[in-house]
Amino acid sequence: MKEPDKVTLESLQAGLVTARKDANPQQILDLIPYSSFIGARAKIEDGAVLYYMEKRPSNIGNPSLPAIHGGVIGGFLELSAAIELLYSFNIEKLPKVVNFSLDYLRPGRYKTTYANCSVLRHGKKLVNVTATAWQDNPNTPIATARCHFLVS
Amino acid sequence: MWPDLKLAVYRPALKLAMERMNHGVALGYTITRVDSGEVDLSFPYKEKVVGNPLTAVVHGGVIVSLLDTCCSTAAMTVLNRPAITPTIDLRLDYMRPAEPNKPIYVTAKVYRNTSSVIFCRGVAWQDDPDSPIAHCVANFMRVKSPNISFVGILRKRFQRFLAGDSTSEVGR
Repeated sequence: MKEPDKVTLESLQAGLVTARKDANPQQILDLIPYSSFIGARAKIEDGAVLYYMEKRPSNIGNPSLPAIHGGVIGGFLELSAAIELLYSFNIEKLPKVVNFSLDYLRPGRYKTTYANCSVLRHGKKLVNVTATAWQDNPNTPIATARCHFLVS
Repeated sequence: MWPDLKLAVYRPALKLAMERMNHGVALGYTITRVDSGEVDLSFPYKEKVVGNPLTAVVHGGVIVSLLDTCCSTAAMTVLNRPAITPTIDLRLDYMRPAEPNKPIYVTAKVYRNTSSVIFCRGVAWQDDPDSPIAHCVANFMRVKSPNISFVGILRKRFQRFLAGDSTSEVGR
């Protein structure tokens, strides 16, 4: 999945429109190099976007457990929250993250991590999104994040 | 607080462990200073971690990783016995967008150290430490478990090595 050398505002916006039309949030992830660095992917499941990140050696932060690096979980949730906004709302440009708060609940084991997001408030300027990550069971989350984005 | 002699022995081991850990290698940062409760780190700009393809600015997740690594390393330096300090939570404010093609410097400091929780703050900056790109507070837990101490981890690795099990080096 090699990106064309230069992404312009027009090609980005066209990408967003096609992704929404095809109901394929993965197309938005493909525009962002960081998503392939950590291996974040997205698919539609039961009418909502499910984000997932398959296990890969370069995401390990503690090789002896092994456990996923806390920063990778944070990056994954922040990325998911931004994609959720871009996919679900007609936003023309990438949202700017203002702050990010992350609670680690359980160690992230070396296996596929899932995340879902929900937009709690969509204001004119500021949007509040929560994101929760889990591995085996959605009822035993490994981390939960809260994120504010500037849109407009 | 740590006696300096102990830190002198522990410092290179900690630096090596944090730089050579899988995600550390993938990001390619360097830990430039390890003192008791204070750690500095520098990260060269990399295109593969860009978060905004229009401006080529690194993704916020990278800054989360850098600050988390730097703060947890700082938390580890205040322990009496070397061990891993699991992160309880991390709160991050983005003050300004990072500029592309410039290294990012991170400084972390332990500002309160109790029997069960270690409180840290960290700053990420590019040109001027007084005008940071991000600021974070992170809390870490002190865990008294043999599985999480450096000695315990080394012992486990050595046992695995003797048993001819290579899973401890997951896909290096």
